[in-house]
Amino acid sequence: MSKPTDVMGTPLTEAEASLLAAYRGLEALLTDDLAPSVHANISEALASLWQAVNDLALTDDRPAV
Amino acid sequence: MRGSPYWNPKTETMPREQLRALQGHRLRLTVERAYRTSAFHKALFDQAGVKPADIRTVDDIVRLPFTTRDAWMDNQAEHAPFGQMCAVTPDEAIRYHTTSGTSGRTPLRVLDTRTDWKWVADMWCYGFHGFGVRPGDRVFFAFSYGTFIGFWGAHYGTEKMGCLVLPSGNMTTPNRVQLIHDMQATVVCATPTYALRLGQEAENLGIDLPSGSVKRLILSGEPAGSIPASKKLVEEQWGAKAADTAGMTEIGTIMMFECEHQPGGTHIIEDHFIEEVIDPATGEPVDYGEQGERVVTSFGRTAIPLVRYRSRDLVIKVPHTKCTCGRSFDVYDGGIRGRVDDMLLVRGTNVYPRAIEAIVREYLAVDEFQIRLWTKDGIRDEIAVRCEVRPGFEDQWSGIAKRLGSDLSHNIEGLGIHVERAEAGSLPRFELKAKRVKDDRVVKGASHV
Repeated sequence: MSKPTDVMGTPLTEAEASLLAAYRGLEALLTDDLAPSVHANISEALASLWQAVNDLALTDDRPAV
Repeated sequence: MRGSPYWNPKTETMPREQLRALQGHRLRLTVERAYRTSAFHKALFDQAGVKPADIRTVDDIVRLPFTTRDAWMDNQAEHAPFGQMCAVTPDEAIRYHTTSGTSGRTPLRVLDTRTDWKWVADMWCYGFHGFGVRPGDRVFFAFSYGTFIGFWGAHYGTEKMGCLVLPSGNMTTPNRVQLIHDMQATVVCATPTYALRLGQEAENLGIDLPSGSVKRLILSGEPAGSIPASKKLVEEQWGAKAADTAGMTEIGTIMMFECEHQPGGTHIIEDHFIEEVIDPATGEPVDYGEQGERVVTSFGRTAIPLVRYRSRDLVIKVPHTKCTCGRSFDVYDGGIRGRVDDMLLVRGTNVYPRAIEAIVREYLAVDEFQIRLWTKDGIRDEIAVRCEVRPGFEDQWSGIAKRLGSDLSHNIEGLGIHVERAEAGSLPRFELKAKRVKDDRVVKGASHV
């Protein structure tokens, strides 16, 4: 299995891999089963975390929040 | 779940016993943190001989000393510019704000952290969501975005909810009305006074608000948001429902909001605040249904751990069952009913500006008004309500003025109150907190003639 890389093909550091996992985990949490406050606050967190993964060019994803 | 009528269903419908346990838990943490991080609180608690470990349940709150604005101000002056109330240094904060400065003294200066701003916005969400505002709403703010904290948190809260925010900054009133109209705003946030002002301007511009897009108004900053006559006037003028909210710079956000059921009062956000009601003279707690001064303890703000802060706001707390919305949060019946220091003593009679407003707003013929006090013959207090007459009512004014004078006197302990006509456009208009009392007496409140 190949090592995960950023969008330029550079292997992720351990910290970058953790950050990307946190982003993906948060994204997976965002469902309609959540209370309004929880949904909105996770959306905010996801937007902030996306800024970090985007700055580091870890993903081309763009969350729908 | 996302379609819940409650912003935070877990706590908003929590049984009272659990809610009190949660308050007790958060109180313990707040007191411990205040003692550890705020030199102001450490000195205050030490002076009162109380230690954080003494606070075990919510009932122990009465062991803690009150915090007053005067003490905070004095401390700020002594340890300028921020004083020792702040539990963070300017390096740890991301924003500076002040009180509105209506008392005429140097305003209180506050700092907030990044986390604080998330919390501040979230408190506003309780109110907006509770009154039916939803993602997709277009929310207009009649707010100038300065150092006064005002609607800043509401702006962030509605962004967080997924609303389209329409900021109006330093726009003129006609431009604001045009923006509301052009962008088809569905929610307008303003002080009650300014909501009326916007309504008057819409009339001038030939914009028919009741047939327009605005369905909800969120009012804040003045007691008028809960005065039935003022609220009815706003609702009729806009053809929309109006909800009252109330907050203060000292906590950075709102601590109460009116829900869609409109029970004639505002729910206290009791998972984030403890609101006590005391007799302002003795400091002793008063019962449900009795008017007193609200005292706030706030759990959410890192930079300002506020404990038992005497607000000077007059309120009447009633049980949550007053409202049928299902929230277990208690209600302030009639919202904020005035200020402890608002009371005017006129010839030995206590006069509250809110009581005058409640009567004046029953009269559609009155466009704007001012309460003027002066000293006659160097000794006798006189009071007049000066009114600008709404166009179309000029011919009937003399009869209306007579009825208004009689209504005022009848409702305010028989006190003789003059009713005077003011020239159209001569009285001041307000965007923020209205100041309708002009007290020109030589000695304020001393005359008993």
